[in-house]
Amino acid sequence: MTLQTEIESRVSSGLDNEVILSVQDVVVQFPRPKKKTPFNAVNGVSFELRKGETLGLVGESGSGKSMTALSLLGLVPIPGKIIEGSINLRERRIDNLPINMLRKVRGNDLGMVFQDPMTGLNPVRNIGSQLCESVIRHQKVSKSEATEIAFKALDDVGIPSARDRLEAFPHELSGGLRQRVMIALALINHPEVIIADEATTALDATIQAQILDLFRERLSNATMILITHDMGVAAEICDRIAVMYAGRIVETGTIEEVLSSPRHPYTMGLLSAVPRFDIRRPKLVPIPGQPPTAEDIVQGCAFSSRCKFTQENCAERPLLKKRDNRLVACWFPKGEV
Amino acid sequence: MTDREEKNNRINVDQDEKEDANLVTASAGDVETIPVAQQTVRTILRRLAELVFLLLFVSTLLFFLLRLTGDPAAILAGETGDQEQLELIRKQYGFDKPLYVQYGVFLMKMLVLDFGTSLANAQDALGLVFERLPTSFTLVLIAFTANLIISIPLGAWLGSRPDRTGRKLGSTGVFILQGIPGYITGLILIQVFSVELRWLPSIGNQGPESWIMPAITLASFQAPQVIRVISANVSEAMREDYIRTARANGAGFNTLLWRHALKNAMLGATALIGAQVSFLIGGSIITEVIFAWPGLGRLLVTSVTTLDFPVVQAAVFVISVFVYLSITATDLAFIFIDPRLRRQRA
Repeated sequence: MTLQTEIESRVSSGLDNEVILSVQDVVVQFPRPKKKTPFNAVNGVSFELRKGETLGLVGESGSGKSMTALSLLGLVPIPGKIIEGSINLRERRIDNLPINMLRKVRGNDLGMVFQDPMTGLNPVRNIGSQLCESVIRHQKVSKSEATEIAFKALDDVGIPSARDRLEAFPHELSGGLRQRVMIALALINHPEVIIADEATTALDATIQAQILDLFRERLSNATMILITHDMGVAAEICDRIAVMYAGRIVETGTIEEVLSSPRHPYTMGLLSAVPRFDIRRPKLVPIPGQPPTAEDIVQGCAFSSRCKFTQENCAERPLLKKRDNRLVACWFPKGEV
Repeated sequence: MTDREEKNNRINVDQDEKEDANLVTASAGDVETIPVAQQTVRTILRRLAELVFLLLFVSTLLFFLLRLTGDPAAILAGETGDQEQLELIRKQYGFDKPLYVQYGVFLMKMLVLDFGTSLANAQDALGLVFERLPTSFTLVLIAFTANLIISIPLGAWLGSRPDRTGRKLGSTGVFILQGIPGYITGLILIQVFSVELRWLPSIGNQGPESWIMPAITLASFQAPQVIRVISANVSEAMREDYIRTARANGAGFNTLLWRHALKNAMLGATALIGAQVSFLIGGSIITEVIFAWPGLGRLLVTSVTTLDFPVVQAAVFVISVFVYLSITATDLAFIFIDPRLRRQRA
């Protein structure tokens, strides 16, 4: 790749644009009344999101990726809360806003698409009223203007005969259409950042492909955080990837860097557990063992018990920092051993 | 329909449209659901047809049960009546004929809503019942309205954050209230407001001020049931995914509770409220007796104890009709509240 084309590709993927969202050392803690120690679901996560960039948060269930997303909107479920760190949207700190200010951020500055479109919409209210409710809350418009905005939002996400659908109830739509409605709802107030939490996971494969197409076409220039456990989905639409393990980011880099030359043993493990058609290999290799649960108090590197490169150093926790020109939280990133 | 056919013709074009075509059969957008008005009419007609059979069944059962319980002629004749008088009375009222003949006559007359005259005072039985209806319904309506006005907001509030101390205390209070039987509430009210304070009349229907205590008594053991169901349903609904979606779009507490959670919570409560109305129509007997309320319930009790067959039959007939009307109303309420119950055309 020549220097010129590399710069162009970095600009188009937003890697050099202004920072929209900046997350610094966020810790989300859940008290455990029956035990003395609380549980940190998110344990010091930092990342930056630049304009027009799509960041993939990847990791197993329980790695803290959804909790990270919820913390951005101040939606960490009770009794959990953010006990450390800061979240800034442009220059404005949003993690310590009073609730009435936070409500103006939710859906207006940050739009979120949730995992399950089957349960994510109110079953007894029609689509139009649920969309209009959000429009009227955040924009100064009349009921009829809101309806028009709702119609456009549905039309924009590829819902056929969108005007009639405003009257429809969630149970009258298929899963794919419902997820389109959820996306329309997240986009309707033109939020600066879109957070998609496992937005395609609950859908079957063909619908999943359609929703990914929608993301690619409609949201290619959007500033977005895509949370997924599926490396394939991340590879399709993300510019950058942050791999999470046990509440921390263990590796981050551009999609090409992370996929073609993973540095962290966990990332390598994740990638060899994904089926591929382009290279021959004997079989999928699962990562041995289980990720640490809330019960485990982990000293040192949380992955060390499952890692085949573990050495004495691993009893001390490696920080996420530049090693071998890449951001990895590992004492022995691939290439150094 | 042409729209649908057109879509079906294009079915092979691509995946996106394949999905559309499948959707058309099951979507409101394409006017495939039965209109609410039409479904309302259907529900009413179906319930009416059922009502005819219900009335026949209840009347027949009651007819034979009443005949098993005693000899009305003996009661009519009184303690002084001799054999001759008894025979005379039996002949006069047709009690001397075989039971199946009596039953046949009874059925034929029921078709034209003739239940005969009261054995006690020779008034038209159905007329006696209709005389009591307004009094009974006054009480039913007031108790029902009071119940809803108190239960829905209170239940929603208690269920919105059940972990808060104030709500916990409230729920305990409701629980205790539910444990107090209606006759105790009624007697306490009479003692306080009639005997001690002399504010309210304790017996009969003497205008609005005499409606207050019976209505409170009825509502005081019906409302706690509704409050607890709504509270439990609201607290469950507040944990649903759609609440999180609404919250992620900036919805505040009031929107979440009143616009999102409550309507879902009302689905479960509607069945209970419907059953309570049925109970009120026929069964507010204890309350009517305590307050000497000249309602349908008390008429029924008196007639049963005096073996006044015609009045019992007429009263049960009318109560059955109104209970069925309230069941139908509950059905209709469901159709309006829950869009998923609006049926689709096959």
